[in-house]
Amino acid sequence: MTSSRTTESKPAEPRLRLTRRWLQILAALFLTALFAGPTRAEDIKIEALLIWGSNLDTNLNAKVQDTRVTEALAKAFKWKNYSQITNRTAIIAGDATQTLEMSPKCSIKVKNLGAGKVQVECFGDGKFVSRGDYSLAEGKWFTLAGPDKNDSAWFIVMRSRNPKGGD
Amino acid sequence: MNLEQELKLQAWLDGELPPAEAARLAQTAQDDPRARQLVAELTAVKTALAGNELERKVPDTREFYWSQIQRRIQREETRSVPVATSISALLARWRRLIAPMAGALAGAALLVVSIRQSVPVPAFVETTVTSSDFDALTYHDQSSGMTVVWLKYREQEPAPSEEAPDIFDVR
Repeated sequence: MTSSRTTESKPAEPRLRLTRRWLQILAALFLTALFAGPTRAEDIKIEALLIWGSNLDTNLNAKVQDTRVTEALAKAFKWKNYSQITNRTAIIAGDATQTLEMSPKCSIKVKNLGAGKVQVECFGDGKFVSRGDYSLAEGKWFTLAGPDKNDSAWFIVMRSRNPKGGD
Repeated sequence: MNLEQELKLQAWLDGELPPAEAARLAQTAQDDPRARQLVAELTAVKTALAGNELERKVPDTREFYWSQIQRRIQREETRSVPVATSISALLARWRRLIAPMAGALAGAALLVVSIRQSVPVPAFVETTVTSSDFDALTYHDQSSGMTVVWLKYREQEPAPSEEAPDIFDVR
């Protein structure tokens, strides 16, 4: 009086498991691209130079290091000599604002708008002078400038120092 | 004689077969010597068991006795399922859900991305506002990529003079 019963376990199909794994990876990639990318503006590293332009042979020791800046300024303006007074570098987080003291009387507030764009507020002697939205995308830079005593001028040159943006 | 025939003989001895089949097997038990021998062995065992079975009195009623056994079996079955098995079953169920969930999420993400891309992004315009004391003149040099915002004090018209307030004092 014996009886026997045999059972065979069906092996899991590796192809189905692979498809499921790929679906999981795809979903993770989509979610990462969707939520991690655009939600937070990237940090921006900027350089701000305060430059004094004149036709006098003074401050020759403080010449602007980057000749492309002086060439561009000399091409646009009448002054021959450009002296670098201040050089400030700052890393500004997305949507953050940072104040840079360019001289005892001049400061700028820079806000990172994301995508290589900034909002810059300029203050002279503590008073508001100007505010503007500017692009510091690759190859672009901008300058706030104005006249000074003895037929000279001041320039605040700003550009991105990110690996992808600015010069 | 194979196993099925042996089982049939046992069923015949226990009186479990219909009359027609029982008659056929009775004939087989007479004709086939091996069948006859098996029937003899089974009959001996049956007689021995029936004659020597100890009678034990259970103090409980029959229904209560069996209900206790049934409850105990049920309890043992519940206890015999290991925790690891239940966790792995839960995980397996989740895994079965992950694939359709991942697909649905991917679809939703695609939908959101396509909607986002279809919404026109306003072009960025460089703007400058000044205080009431200043005027701004914007100059673009395409070759160098430079934008200059020239800030001029309003009382300095037409050209910068030494009387202009020195609010920057870069020197």
